[in-house]
Amino acid sequence: MLLAVLLPFIIAIFIPFLSKWKDKIHPGFIVTAVPAVIFIYFARFLGSGFEPVSREYTWIPSLNMNIAFYLDGLSLLFVLLISGIGALVAFYSIYYLHKTEQLGHFYVYFLLFMGSMLGVVLSDNVFVLYTFWEFTSLSSFLLIGYWHYKERSRYGALKSMLITIFGGLSLLGALIFMSVITGSTSIQQIIRQQELILNHEFFPLILVFILLGAFTKSAQFPFHIWLPDAMEAPTPVSAYLHSATMVKAGIFLVARFSPMLSSSDWFFIIVSSVGIVTLCWGSYMAVRQTDLKAILAFSTISQLGMIMAMLGFGTEVAVFAAVFHILNHATFKGSLFMVAGIVDHETGSRDIRKLGGLMTFLPITATLALFASFSMAGVPLPFLNGFYSKELFFDAAIHFEQTTTGFIAFLKTAFPYLAVLGSIFTFVYSMYFFFGTFRGNANVDELPKKPHEAPMGMLVSPMILVAGVIIIGLFPQLINEPFIHHAASAVKGFELRVHHIKFWHGIKLPLIMSLTVIAFGTVLVLSMTKWKGIYRFIPGVLSLNTFYDGLVDRTVSYSSALTKGYMNGSVGRYVRLIVGAIIIGSFGIMAATNGFHLETGNLAEVKLTEVFVAIMMVIAAIGTIIVRNRIAAILILGVVGYGLSLLFVIYRAPDLALTQFIIETVTLALFLLVFYHLPKFENHTHSAKTKTFNLIISIGFGALMTMVAISAHSSKMFDSIASYFIENSYKLGGGDNIVNVILVDMRGLDTLFEITVLGIAAMAIYGLIRLRGNRKGD
Amino acid sequence: MSNLISLPIILPLLAGIIVAFFANKLPLARTMSKVFALINLAVTGFILYQIYQNGPIVLETGDWAAPYGIILVGDMLSITLAFTTNIVAVACVFYASRSLTEQQESYYFYSFFFLLITGVSGAFITGDIFNLFVFFEVLLMASYGLIVLGNGRAQLRESMKYVLINLFSSMIFVTTVSFLYSVVGTLNMAHIAERVQEVDQQGILTTIGILLFFVFATKAAIFPLYYWLPHSYSVPNPVVSALFGALLTKVGIYSILRVFTLIFAWEADLTHTLFIYLAAFTMLFGVIGALSTNNIKLIIAYNIIPAVGFMMMGIGVFTETSISGTVYYLIHDMVIKGALFLLVGVIAYAAGTSDLRKINGLIHHYPVLGWFFFIATLVLAGIPPFSGFIGKLLLIQGALGQEEIMIVIIALITSLLILFSMIRIFIQGFWGEKKELAHPERRQAANRMTWPIGLLLSISVLLGVGAEWFYPSVEWIGEYLMNPQIYIDSVLKE
Amino acid sequence: MEIIMAVLAGILFTTAVYNLLQKQMLRIIIGTALLSHGAHLFILTMGELKRGAPPILSEGVEQYTDPLPQALILTSIVISFGITSLLLVLAYRTSKINGTDNMEQLRGNDYE
Repeated sequence: MLLAVLLPFIIAIFIPFLSKWKDKIHPGFIVTAVPAVIFIYFARFLGSGFEPVSREYTWIPSLNMNIAFYLDGLSLLFVLLISGIGALVAFYSIYYLHKTEQLGHFYVYFLLFMGSMLGVVLSDNVFVLYTFWEFTSLSSFLLIGYWHYKERSRYGALKSMLITIFGGLSLLGALIFMSVITGSTSIQQIIRQQELILNHEFFPLILVFILLGAFTKSAQFPFHIWLPDAMEAPTPVSAYLHSATMVKAGIFLVARFSPMLSSSDWFFIIVSSVGIVTLCWGSYMAVRQTDLKAILAFSTISQLGMIMAMLGFGTEVAVFAAVFHILNHATFKGSLFMVAGIVDHETGSRDIRKLGGLMTFLPITATLALFASFSMAGVPLPFLNGFYSKELFFDAAIHFEQTTTGFIAFLKTAFPYLAVLGSIFTFVYSMYFFFGTFRGNANVDELPKKPHEAPMGMLVSPMILVAGVIIIGLFPQLINEPFIHHAASAVKGFELRVHHIKFWHGIKLPLIMSLTVIAFGTVLVLSMTKWKGIYRFIPGVLSLNTFYDGLVDRTVSYSSALTKGYMNGSVGRYVRLIVGAIIIGSFGIMAATNGFHLETGNLAEVKLTEVFVAIMMVIAAIGTIIVRNRIAAILILGVVGYGLSLLFVIYRAPDLALTQFIIETVTLALFLLVFYHLPKFENHTHSAKTKTFNLIISIGFGALMTMVAISAHSSKMFDSIASYFIENSYKLGGGDNIVNVILVDMRGLDTLFEITVLGIAAMAIYGLIRLRGNRKGD
Repeated sequence: MSNLISLPIILPLLAGIIVAFFANKLPLARTMSKVFALINLAVTGFILYQIYQNGPIVLETGDWAAPYGIILVGDMLSITLAFTTNIVAVACVFYASRSLTEQQESYYFYSFFFLLITGVSGAFITGDIFNLFVFFEVLLMASYGLIVLGNGRAQLRESMKYVLINLFSSMIFVTTVSFLYSVVGTLNMAHIAERVQEVDQQGILTTIGILLFFVFATKAAIFPLYYWLPHSYSVPNPVVSALFGALLTKVGIYSILRVFTLIFAWEADLTHTLFIYLAAFTMLFGVIGALSTNNIKLIIAYNIIPAVGFMMMGIGVFTETSISGTVYYLIHDMVIKGALFLLVGVIAYAAGTSDLRKINGLIHHYPVLGWFFFIATLVLAGIPPFSGFIGKLLLIQGALGQEEIMIVIIALITSLLILFSMIRIFIQGFWGEKKELAHPERRQAANRMTWPIGLLLSISVLLGVGAEWFYPSVEWIGEYLMNPQIYIDSVLKE
Repeated sequence: MEIIMAVLAGILFTTAVYNLLQKQMLRIIIGTALLSHGAHLFILTMGELKRGAPPILSEGVEQYTDPLPQALILTSIVISFGITSLLLVLAYRTSKINGTDNMEQLRGNDYE
């Protein structure tokens, strides 16, 4: 099983080499073989006696990050979708993408995606799941940006990345949290310990985090806005990632965690409401679009919403309908995307206002579109799979467990109406798509290309999918027990009784709902021109897009404003902020720990001479601020230095006194030298307000250090190690001058590197003086 | 045997001195530098292996017993960081000759370079708090030498700020060390730790600790003390930026990690909680900074800051998992920051500008550079299975274990924004229509500069995919740091 | 006396920071010099003042002043000297090449 998942990655490595010979053989053929092989490998698991399979391969055991696969009915459904549709799309792409394109890149991304998506649906380890999850987002990013010379592609790629990675990170938070709570990284183990999570005080947060991950990926309202822009990708990609597989990863995630989450009321409220709203909104917006792919994008959003809603309902029939619809949607939507691609390819346009009457030019394509779009609309015909799942959906929307009152009860009353509403618009856009493109008057002259039927190779894949639509429609039982049944059981977490799929149930409420949809839908389709004006008043998605654009722009512009606000390059400002932080932080800690301590018992006595020296130094130090003449200021600085040297003498530090004296002299000379050579620029002083502020900061800092010093001196808690030096200076160090012995022997390393510092300084100064810089910046 | 541990300090010191004499014979100096850097790496690697096999090496310099003399402590943490330092150094030295002008090289670039390595390794390895100050000065002085190299106008201006701020914090450092000495009467870190623990970190000690924290935080660029960093790190030559970005802030983080697990670990409710708040602000302000500009070098420089926030988060949460996370993140960040600065160096060189608004479509001419940058972006943003993810995973696990929800949410948002700030460079700079290059003549040199980056990137990938080879050791370091007694015993041997 | 010295060192720090916050480069460097003076005075004070003879072993002396802070100060003085010299030359070059010694004008922007 590991090999099956890794196969796409392995082949991806070789694609760049293969694409060198792309003039002789289209790399698409090799790529088609990969999912075909995987499909065959997994298809053998089909059958009514299917039992979940798990495999584990070590990767990072010390982090509990092992490649654990768990193949149950749900994964199997997805794996077969991914590989099956993958093979069809890869084959289709051979005819869609011309050899002059960068085919190598395309197929590498394509395979990366396929492998990652297989990983997502098979992983049992939360971290491995997350790894693959992010890789689907990334490969989607690269595929949307495939034609990156187009501005719209770059825009769409960034948008999809930001939104899906946002969700991904949120999911990561939830996954880590669950693994911390349960102490396990296996999804199945976590679900088995669901009590721990459901009763955790942060359960609502975990729920929201998981759902954010799912909703962003599956383009649920209000995160759906990335999907229409993702249509900038080549059409095979739209068919594959953005309709059949990747966008269903969110659905998969919710389904995967359903056994655990669905017992929560919040799960019901959030998931089913978001799903229903997405269903209505997506279908309503689809009618508004003029681009074929945009219609399909919104239709996908709406269908995903419907599936999500059913998972939210959580009843047996709802879950069954959901997994059934995942399959059905992949068949009819996949073929419709391919139809849109064919139309685009053969006419040069996807604008439904320019298209029309293509039935005579592309009869086969039109026939395929007819089946697929009627199936999508849920027209009650016994050879269209869409009707079955649509009717199950209505069935689910009216049969809730009658339990609670209040808000949940309200939702349960409202859902059937909303379901019908959404379905009416679904009917409308399906008809709009088909009739707008293939019926009506043909204006061939306005099209960039003269339309004609697509090559056979391009038609094969949609044909197979439409055949799927019809076969499932005619013989729904064929895929029920060996396939869908297991998936539904996996979502519920226990073995369901086998649900019988029938075309005719008698005249019951769901059928009446279907008929209502068709009746209203037909009226709306026929009177479309009259009511389309409504879209001008409810601009809808535009405002959400504006919100996104505004958010992104504002993030950048506010960041800029905020950062430039304090990062203004003024070192004075930086020092003020840094010193301010140190003062507040240290005083805060000192107050909190009661750190200040004053002891007067153990002090040297106060001598007048020393006080005199001290006062002199204070005056000099203040003088450096007040004195305006530069040379005078430097000389006054000298007074402080020499005063310090005097203090060293008084406090029995002869070596220090000498060193300080010499160094002070040299430093002063340097000061004078530098400032003698420097032209005098104008005098600059701060405003009075800044001066006051600076004064407060300076005094605060001085006070802080003094207080810490006094406390430190007053709390000598231990004997110093100094006595050791005094005892052993001569005995072991061989010198009388203890300070010298310490410097050259006991702490010789300090001295070695102190000299190093001087050496480096010398080299740096040499470079500074000798090297001619350029004046232009860098 | 224990003398081994002085080699990561002494070898680069000697190398720095030797190459200074050949400053005028550039080809020779270059070759020697490359050889020295490789020897350093090999020797440090060998010592790492020794310590991994036989436990910490403690060297009492001049045979003066601890706590009286200066000791060098080679434990897994310090030697791992010294080894990572040398990896970055090797990549930089192979990149340097193509990125610097001959003039810059001959004004002691290689000497400063090796002395910087000396200071950094020394800071990791020393076991004496005053000696730590001295090594800080060595690495700072070398960094002053590097940052002014070239004497450009903007460079001198930013150097001035850089030197001033660092000088300021150094002076607080040395003063605070004396305060600490006054209270506990010793300078040996293990001895200090023992004594601080003995009196339960009472009285003024926590305040002294927080002053030290501020000193290190200034170097590490933690909120609200990082203002000096972004511009100072973006003006010098890319190879210098890479060294700074990869090594200097990490020395600050290392010092906080060491001092606040070993010495000031007994008021964690107060100090470490403060760290969590600071970590949150560091992440947010840093990444906001990264979004604020179109200068690609600045974007990378700002991205140092949120990474520091991540590491602080681990220290703040203060559990074995979170500390391991900090260590893993530290190693990861050294490598990837080095790689990123070198990468934008090549981009700016190839495009002739570092203004993102004027760069586009580079991938048509520089595919390898483009994909390197893309991978580096993923590594930095913490996308699995690369190295950033492992560190982030541990940090978040640690924080959630303590139910620190807020910081986790901020960390996740920060990850997204880091990705945003980086992917902008990819989308804007690399994608786009194929156009004529502004500097077609630079293509060969730029491609040559790209390869040393491959070394760093492959290590980043390895640290992620092959985490099983590294994580057990890092986990061990986490436990080791949370049990300071092991360190104290290994040094004082009582 | 130690308290007076601590206050003195604190005042040196105060004037140092105030100078650091000035615009003129000369004042700023004077600030750094004052800062190191203050730091050294602090270190000295942290050893106990005047508790015994200068730390040079001689006959008949029982008590010596704590030698360790003195050793630290000596190291620090040398290092500070190196930095101050570098800073002076740097300041000289910076103000020459930029045509001003006003730090507030040396701000720069994102793109140069």
